[in-house]
Amino acid sequence: MVKVFMPQSLKEALRIRKEEKAIPFAGGTDLMVKRRRWRGLAPYFEKPVLFLHKVKELTGVKFEEGRIRIGASTTLSEILGNRDIPLILKYAVAEIASPAIRNLATIGGNICNASPAGDTLPPLYVMNARVVLSSFTSKREIKIMDFIKGPGFTDLKEDELLKEIVIPVDFFNIVFYRKVGTRKANSLSKVSFAGVARLDNGIIKDIRISFGAVAPTPLRAPEIEEEIIGKNKRKIIAKIPDILGKYAGIIRPIDDQRSTARYRKTISLKILEYFLKEEIK
Amino acid sequence: MKKSDTGLKKRISEPVKRVDGPLKIKGEAKFVDDYIFDNVLHAVTVRSEKPRAKIKSIKIPPLPSGYFIVDKNDVPGKNRVKMILDDMPFFAEDVVNYIGEPILLVVGPDLEKVYEIASRVKIEYEDLPPILSIEEALTSDKPPIYGVDNLFGDYYFEKGALDSCFKKADLIIRDEYRTGYQEHIYLEPQGMMGVYENGRVTAYGSMQCPYYVKNALVEALGWPEDKVRVVATTTGGGFGGKEEYPSLIAGHVALAAIKTKKPVKLIFDRKEDIEVTTKRHPSLIKFRTALDDNHNIMGMDVDIILDGGAYAGLSTVVLQRAMFAATGVYRIPNVRVRGRVVATNKVPSGAFRGFGAPQAFFAIEMHMHHLAQKLGVDPLEFKLKHALKKGDYTSTGGLIRSEVKLKEMVELIDSMSRYRDKYREFKKEREKLKGIGVSLFFHGCGFTGKGEEIIKGKVKLRKRRDGKVEILVANVDMGQGPLTTLRKIVSHTLDIPLDDVIYENPDTDRVPDSGPTVASRTVVIVGGLLERAARELREKWNEAPELEVSRVYKHPEYIRWDQERMEGDAYPEYSWGANVVEVEVDPVTYEVEVKGIWAVYDIGVAIDERIIKGQIEGGIVQGLAYALMEKMEMKNGKILHNTLTDYIIPTSKDFPKIESCLVENPYKYGPFGAKCAGELPFVGAAPAVCAAIQHALGIPVKKIPVTPEDIMDLEEKESED
Amino acid sequence: MKIRFVLNHKKVEIDVDPLKRLLDVLREDFALKGVKEGCGEGECGACAVLVNGKLMNSCLVPVAQVDGKEVLTVEGYKNTEKYKIIEEAFLEAGAVQCGFCTPGMVMAIEALLSRNPSPEESDVREALSGNLCRCTGYNMIVDAVLLAARRGKGLW
Repeated sequence: MVKVFMPQSLKEALRIRKEEKAIPFAGGTDLMVKRRRWRGLAPYFEKPVLFLHKVKELTGVKFEEGRIRIGASTTLSEILGNRDIPLILKYAVAEIASPAIRNLATIGGNICNASPAGDTLPPLYVMNARVVLSSFTSKREIKIMDFIKGPGFTDLKEDELLKEIVIPVDFFNIVFYRKVGTRKANSLSKVSFAGVARLDNGIIKDIRISFGAVAPTPLRAPEIEEEIIGKNKRKIIAKIPDILGKYAGIIRPIDDQRSTARYRKTISLKILEYFLKEEIK
Repeated sequence: MKKSDTGLKKRISEPVKRVDGPLKIKGEAKFVDDYIFDNVLHAVTVRSEKPRAKIKSIKIPPLPSGYFIVDKNDVPGKNRVKMILDDMPFFAEDVVNYIGEPILLVVGPDLEKVYEIASRVKIEYEDLPPILSIEEALTSDKPPIYGVDNLFGDYYFEKGALDSCFKKADLIIRDEYRTGYQEHIYLEPQGMMGVYENGRVTAYGSMQCPYYVKNALVEALGWPEDKVRVVATTTGGGFGGKEEYPSLIAGHVALAAIKTKKPVKLIFDRKEDIEVTTKRHPSLIKFRTALDDNHNIMGMDVDIILDGGAYAGLSTVVLQRAMFAATGVYRIPNVRVRGRVVATNKVPSGAFRGFGAPQAFFAIEMHMHHLAQKLGVDPLEFKLKHALKKGDYTSTGGLIRSEVKLKEMVELIDSMSRYRDKYREFKKEREKLKGIGVSLFFHGCGFTGKGEEIIKGKVKLRKRRDGKVEILVANVDMGQGPLTTLRKIVSHTLDIPLDDVIYENPDTDRVPDSGPTVASRTVVIVGGLLERAARELREKWNEAPELEVSRVYKHPEYIRWDQERMEGDAYPEYSWGANVVEVEVDPVTYEVEVKGIWAVYDIGVAIDERIIKGQIEGGIVQGLAYALMEKMEMKNGKILHNTLTDYIIPTSKDFPKIESCLVENPYKYGPFGAKCAGELPFVGAAPAVCAAIQHALGIPVKKIPVTPEDIMDLEEKESED
Repeated sequence: MKIRFVLNHKKVEIDVDPLKRLLDVLREDFALKGVKEGCGEGECGACAVLVNGKLMNSCLVPVAQVDGKEVLTVEGYKNTEKYKIIEEAFLEAGAVQCGFCTPGMVMAIEALLSRNPSPEESDVREALSGNLCRCTGYNMIVDAVLLAARRGKGLW
């Protein structure tokens, strides 16, 4: 039997992580499916398992100094139930899986799983979220966009744990999220779209757009957003073909059992177009 | 005669509480995996990883004491699962014909160890060229899988003078439709337990047909019938997926129990179940239709091809039902129907609610819309103009002897749904992509053709000393309610309280073979026999403290059927349906939202309206999903959608409320006038929703499932043209 | 590893592989057969139980995760007043057919009504969205829940 640890403090957890190179286990909703073997059997783990559910330092949502700090072990249900969590993240979390999964799954797990279709990611990208990574001896904070490096692949070092997610609170008066799944509930995303903007006296002062499930990692292109900032609705509408063309250049979906690359690309651009035409008002 | 005094309902249709409800809700109902047996061994099946290959060698890792292998060498009788063509082995011999074909079992006391040993079994294959599609099965020069031409069945019937129709026709229209795989996803995975004691073997498990299983075991073992016993446990859904497949698993556990002398349990893992058990036959249906200058259909030439997978199973019968449904509810004077079911190196196709009719009705209903569109006439009026009436003849020349209430049902459904108004209104609102579609359909009651006479179903009623009456039949409650409905039939006929009627899960040691729980026959055929037996019992009631009455099926005298020429009354009676579905197609994502569902059925008389409603609701949702979301694709014979994450069935959020009602039309030979009902509600849903999508888009839908990806393709192709 | 938790209102302790799925611990070690394995991948909800009052799919929960928590299965719920209301509503609304999904549905309903005693139809559909049923098409189950909520005023 593989070794299993259930530390009660972050320090203890980090020590174990370092010494045992243990696999961090938060909610486990991804791990238990990935490592599933057969009915009636326990999942397969080849390395020691580090249960995090008793580590209090990884829980809690705090609002301080204009930033929201979300403990990595915060469950998706807790995110939905918390007043301080920005709407764009709540919209996305509300459409993840099912109530039972959301009671168990954590935001930290969704981030570290780094699925190209990870639904918390596009909202975190548009909010310029940062992640705090702790090891036994140190701590660092990096942009989430730099943390997610590829499909299923993050910058988490072998002796690190994701401690919390930090979101600077910015004001948006346009908040739009759209997920296209394989059915109306409890499904993986074929395409997801998070768009937030601040429209001031008819001028876009800030706009951030992120696509999920259409590239190896979520997409965010601040350089294209720059071209929209400072413009009014009429100018934006005129610029739509150009904007769509630029995003078309970076949207690189694949064919898989859920959908086709062509559908994903076409629909993600159509959602973007809809957002720019209908939601900016 | 005992008089009831416990408030029997006057009308049998009035709902009663399901007799098996409380135990199921409490979680106390025992499904096969819930039984605790001492010394039970677990089994895991080792399966082919190739779609077609010769087995060159099998290397088994060293087996600890108490662990066994069970394979083709352990079959004392015939290594063939008894069905129709008897071509499927229990365990592969020299050749494997589909990915997932069982090769051997590993059996032992610890499931973890059994699984581990099974994963280390090494099989060396020599690849053979696989046949992976209908087209390949018909045209390729790869060695055939079955016979000389890869055809499990090739049938043909005709009526009238079709060729002269085409010469005289004002317009000839060709058309083609495809349907895909569908997996049952009964919530309880397949499972069996085998027990060998005192020279007898018993198979317990999830199944629809205890006697199919028993007969298969008798042949596999070569033992006398009284040495084999089959007991159905509470079965968590079947939908046809547990009609033939359990015979294979029962054989496995029986052989294992005999070899090990211990009880053996084999419960399927869900992924395994999705990958290797029988599926709905994919179809390719082509029409060539002749129309006169008055918008009448003069003749139809229909070509049906089903994909049967690697072994025949029930394919020939599925094909026949599809053929008899080929011209739908319409009066077509000149008909030719050709049907073929091909062998391919994929998972065997088998029974699934509707059994060939859903494929055929999807095609004919969409074809009628297509014809109407070509003629520039209203599709509903065009359908009604051709709808069968009492006194008409079916495609096989069978007489419609009873009232056909289709016109009345259409008026009813129109007032419920406002179909006609919306059909006109929606045509104008193009920006919102709203559509509404209607389907008309039937289901033949009981087995096709002479089937019921061949089965010769037998029922028994036993009056006990305490005045209670036991129903002895082999039919299984898989959720569709016979534990309640058959009891109601007996209770009402004898005029005794429902609680005084006993009906337990069938045990072949105790019950006669009343035939399988399939073909929507349980109420109309078996219930009909029980009604007649109960009437006889009622007459004899006071003759003795204990009595037994039995009844054997006899075809009603009016039935004429020539199986060779497929001519005459394909079914003793029909149930009829009309569905309307309203949709909105999202112009950004092409997702289809079903906004309204209306359904009207003629099932004769409902034995229990609430149970019928359950069949309606469940059947419609399953049928809509067949059309919209249940995509199952294969690559080189391997199923790509093999988990519940990837094989998409509806959740509680996917479809809205359904408004349904029944029109009464009692059938003389059905119990209390009942006809068949279990499959009918499935059949009409797919064509109705596809007609709605077609209406919304203005583009024909020629295949299902029709996903948002497909709609995008249809829209793009349309704008190119 | 010794895992201690409260199971159906009773304190229990079990020495078991901490990675053993809660589903298997309940079915095998405690003979609670009401919890079912429909898929083992957290999709169908047939294995749903309440852990500290929250609905969870026990096929995804290693037993170590319930250490120190309260677990409730249908066996620990079926003798309550609330359960009786749900059972009666299910029978009247025709919400059971094959019964395999039903215990999981019951737990999902308790989870819903304990948080929202007067749900709208959409709340019910959302609450049951992780419980698959192949027999009923869901509408009759939704009707049963709304009926139970109306009748159970004051209980939840």
